[in-house]
Amino acid sequence: MAAVNTAFSRELSKFGAFDFNACYNCGNCTAVCSLSNETDSFPREMIRFSVLGLEDDIKGSLKPWLCYYCGECTTHCPQQAEPGELMMSLRRWLTSVYDWTGLSGLLYRSLTATVAAMTAVALGVLAYAFHEDLHLEKIMHTGHLFEMVAIAAVFSVILLPNLVRMWYFIILKPGLRIPVKKYITSLADLFIHMFTQKRTLGCDDSQVRWFEHLVLVFGYLGLLFTTVFLDWFSSDSAFVITLGYVVSIIIFTVTIIFVGERIARKREMNSKSQPSDWMFVVWLFLMGISAFAVRLFSDLGILESNTWLYLTHLIILAQWALVIVPFGKWTHFLYRSFAMYFDKLKKS
Amino acid sequence: MADNIKTSSYDALVIGAGIAGGEAALNLANNGYSVLLVEKDLSVGGKMILLSKVFPTLDCAACITTPKVSEISRHPGITIYTGSEVRRVVKKSENNFEAEVVKHPRYVIEDDCTACQLCEQACPVVVKDQYQYNLVGRKAAFIPFSIASPRVAAIDIENCTLCGACEKVCPTKCIDFTMEPEEFLVSVGTVIVATGFRLFDPLNMPRYGYGEYKNVLTSMEMERQLAPTRPFNTILRPGDGKMPDKLAYVLCTGSRDATVGNPICSQICCMYSIKQAQLLMGALPMADVTIYYINIRSFGKGFEEFYEQAKGMGVNFIKGKIGKITEKENGNLVLRYEDINENRLREAEHDMVILSVGVLPNPDAASIFQGEELKLDHLNFIGQARPLANPSETSIKGVFVAGTASGPMDIPDSILSAGSASSEAMSYLIRKG
Repeated sequence: MAAVNTAFSRELSKFGAFDFNACYNCGNCTAVCSLSNETDSFPREMIRFSVLGLEDDIKGSLKPWLCYYCGECTTHCPQQAEPGELMMSLRRWLTSVYDWTGLSGLLYRSLTATVAAMTAVALGVLAYAFHEDLHLEKIMHTGHLFEMVAIAAVFSVILLPNLVRMWYFIILKPGLRIPVKKYITSLADLFIHMFTQKRTLGCDDSQVRWFEHLVLVFGYLGLLFTTVFLDWFSSDSAFVITLGYVVSIIIFTVTIIFVGERIARKREMNSKSQPSDWMFVVWLFLMGISAFAVRLFSDLGILESNTWLYLTHLIILAQWALVIVPFGKWTHFLYRSFAMYFDKLKKS
Repeated sequence: MADNIKTSSYDALVIGAGIAGGEAALNLANNGYSVLLVEKDLSVGGKMILLSKVFPTLDCAACITTPKVSEISRHPGITIYTGSEVRRVVKKSENNFEAEVVKHPRYVIEDDCTACQLCEQACPVVVKDQYQYNLVGRKAAFIPFSIASPRVAAIDIENCTLCGACEKVCPTKCIDFTMEPEEFLVSVGTVIVATGFRLFDPLNMPRYGYGEYKNVLTSMEMERQLAPTRPFNTILRPGDGKMPDKLAYVLCTGSRDATVGNPICSQICCMYSIKQAQLLMGALPMADVTIYYINIRSFGKGFEEFYEQAKGMGVNFIKGKIGKITEKENGNLVLRYEDINENRLREAEHDMVILSVGVLPNPDAASIFQGEELKLDHLNFIGQARPLANPSETSIKGVFVAGTASGPMDIPDSILSAGSASSEAMSYLIRKG
């Protein structure tokens, strides 16, 4: 028998909205959810866990990641308790739980901390630029180097340990014994879910949403690949240059659509956007458009006289790589696909 | 037109002749007051006269209503206008209200009709029978239902083709197509509002498929199939006429649901569903009946025992609100819900589904009061000025509310409420303001 932990609802409310007093436990949310099934019933179970404050049960559950927020549960909730937003809040909370540094939690809870972190990164980039006397070539060289170092460091120091922690909460702590062979044979699921997000297709009416998201993911990975590994900004290859233009255009077009939808609040999932949600999509947009502009200016031969442009791009990139990727919403890319992987392992 | 307006005066005007309005009128008349009872429908008796049996005693609803209705109809102190509307009520001073009443033409001279039904047989027009909740048809010349009061034919002029067949066969020549609306200017000393409630229309909840899936019924449609004056003389599912063997009740359809604008409990659905389930166990001895609920609210006298009795008879109770209903090719229905006690999502197949529709306010009455405003509460029921101290008082002194016009309640409570309203009205008349 678990003890009721009333403090948890207060803690969780810092990560999003849910009316804990409204839910009368009817299960309508689970019944209308198109991803819920006989083995995995949610969101009601997660709501009970949250209301009772059963933190360990939530930490050990993958259900928050099995929800792709179509919003049906919120639309039809007879008590207007916003079950969909509760699932979203739990994902934010879990992100902060998996993060060993504790910074995710701090940034989710406090907008001030987020602004401070973003400002600090921007000032750092500027300080470095002035230290190099705004020498464009030098800065661009370091910028490219920074991309590679940042990716390696963020992944090995932050993301990998966090994934291990997630594995600990899901598999190790509950005492599940899974043969090593299963880890290998299930890897296909990990990559399929990581690159296709095919589970979204199970959500009602979400084919368009799935497609937009898929295009954005490939655009983002494409930009990452062209700038970091193909060195787009310095490349002479017509193929690389064109590829870079295409993927950056994809990113800022799709993000414009996403921002528009968040503003219009057309979908249930967009009705309660948190600063972290806005920042993720806005910074993606800024990355796409600034990268596009940098290369365009470079092709027009006017980048030399517009150092500020590359500096802006570098600031955005650094903020993205040092704040949003390790501690922000970017991590859902990993946690969602690893959740599907661990789910497969659990059920084996 | 002004010359055609007839004037008259009564001690009390009762708006609505359901069980509450009828009871209030009877109480007033038995105490010597003259009452005008105005009913918009073609018969008095309201919704109760159409019911099968009542909870928790399983008494026949018609056997309680019909003696009461005939007492009302024959009482020398009560004047009844059926098929009529109160258009406007103005308070001139204490104990002095002026009401404008319109009697819509029935196209049949009430006093001459013998209810021989020859017109019904002759009429070539068949339309849906609203008194059987559209389960069967009726003619355009028709007697509303077998125990209607007055038991007099009426012409449904909207659907009538004016062929004249009924006129030819009528032995008393009581059909008169030249009838026009009659207007009355009535002065009364007090008013009782007993305008009842409306049922939730499940078309507003498309995920339950009502209207689209033929074997999804409302509880009122099932009530008609169970009533002594039932259309089929047995239980049939409308899709193909099969006798069902696996029935489901979906509680809280349109109640306790903010998404359809009705956040409150309707107070009667748990119990009438349990009652219908028990009656179904008798009508279809081999059938399974399952009631899907959020909470069973059996709070009244004898209610909990009635609920236990249903369980003892073998009615299944499953805790979980139905999320959606889908139809299979054979007309069976798949209900998706979460079994709360087992914490599992489930899908169950039933061959007939009954939506236990909730109680909605009937706010029409408020707009007829002019001058002083008849206030509604936040849910659009007639507002009670002092719900605890005097539940029948409204925002207008001298206007009282009886029955479900003030909020959801069951039949015994409606009758109690009518008793309260009528005695308050009498003391208002005696005190002279």
